[in-house]
Amino acid sequence: MSSQEQSRNPWMSELDDLMRGASGGFLFSTTLIYTMEVWWTGTYVDPGRMLVALMIAFAVVFMLNRSAGFRRVQNPQFSEDMFETIQALALSLVCTAAFLLLLRRISFETPLQEVLGKVVYESVPFALGVALGNQFLSSGGRRQQQSSGQQSSGQQSSEFILHSTLMDIGATMVGATFIALTIAPTAEIPMLAVAISPPWLLALMIASLVVSYGIVFEAGFANQQKRKQQQGILQRPLSETVAAYLVALIVAAFLLWFFKQLTFDDPWHVWFNLSIVLGFPAAVGGAAGRLAV
Amino acid sequence: MSKATENNLSQTQDQHRDRSGQQNQQQQGRSVAEWVSFGISTAILLAVAGLILFWWLTAPKGPPIIRISPAGDIRQVEEQFYVPFEVKNTGGSAADAIQARAELRINGQVVEQATQSFSFLSRGETEKGAFVFTQDPREGKLTMSITSYKQP
Repeated sequence: MSSQEQSRNPWMSELDDLMRGASGGFLFSTTLIYTMEVWWTGTYVDPGRMLVALMIAFAVVFMLNRSAGFRRVQNPQFSEDMFETIQALALSLVCTAAFLLLLRRISFETPLQEVLGKVVYESVPFALGVALGNQFLSSGGRRQQQSSGQQSSGQQSSEFILHSTLMDIGATMVGATFIALTIAPTAEIPMLAVAISPPWLLALMIASLVVSYGIVFEAGFANQQKRKQQQGILQRPLSETVAAYLVALIVAAFLLWFFKQLTFDDPWHVWFNLSIVLGFPAAVGGAAGRLAV
Repeated sequence: MSKATENNLSQTQDQHRDRSGQQNQQQQGRSVAEWVSFGISTAILLAVAGLILFWWLTAPKGPPIIRISPAGDIRQVEEQFYVPFEVKNTGGSAADAIQARAELRINGQVVEQATQSFSFLSRGETEKGAFVFTQDPREGKLTMSITSYKQP
């Protein structure tokens, strides 16, 4: 344990670790959570295969943890990697269950074996994302170097603030497009959108905001410190998260229109439903984009 | 654990990559929070594995058994009659592409038919739908049946 970790509340640093793991998981597995074939596989898969899936996930995550991992402080010990692997898998099971519930793929009436099948199958890619955690976004971006250089020179001109803001919006758009593009033309979006009722849609919006806030500000990915120094009018974490979510929603709506999932004849609530459903992957991508650019 | 050594440790982001040198501290210094989260994690993992095993050992084996039955009152809206129904798989395995059919006979003659299909009905799962007729099913005899399914 480092001094940095100890000087902070250990509960908070544990929460940060878990948050970082979950963020990596969402980045890696959102596309598969939006894939109906995986839900179907979960519906009819037999228990033996499910156990095999869990074991494979365990083995792969364990091996990844030997080289990477989601914790800030790492250790080459066998027991330590076991410890992390168990947590990564449990975190994946909990997060995918919550997300499938949010998307109405499982509910409290769903038979147990179907819940287990879907959650176990979706949690395998999620667990890979958890294990890869920090590796995703660890490369330093040129933008941050640029901005810290500017900052050290003291005064920031309004032109620079405008420039940073535009770069934030641009990075969000690129990231959002990157992830949402592969999901936008699929049949899953209208399928999910019709099944989701207004309260769940609101919950999905809140989840989108929380996860994108988590990725950028909480998870402690490598660029986060630089991120916090980033200038521009969107730099308050909350206002940045909300503004980036709006950008993600606009990107989602545009992509849906581009792939003819939405037309201007559709009623406004269809536009809302579909855009919010696609808004989750877009927000996740946008958050990653702002860290990576 | 010596404070001095700790304070000397770099607090940079590279820290998490540094896998040597932190070993001793890590061994002694797992916080209560980490233990609690580990305990909960282990419990979740064991519970999931246990549930899968439990289901494996106790669940009925065999092919799907699919039943269709009316589910609620017939609704009339304008000139259409909505007959809600549910399809339940009580067998031992899942089914796909389940075809449901309803026939309305009035005075012994089939006057209307309606069909519906369902994808992926897992063991124990129930799905709901409605047949729509233009004549009042209460004035005749309505039969519902499952005509086919596919093994997934």
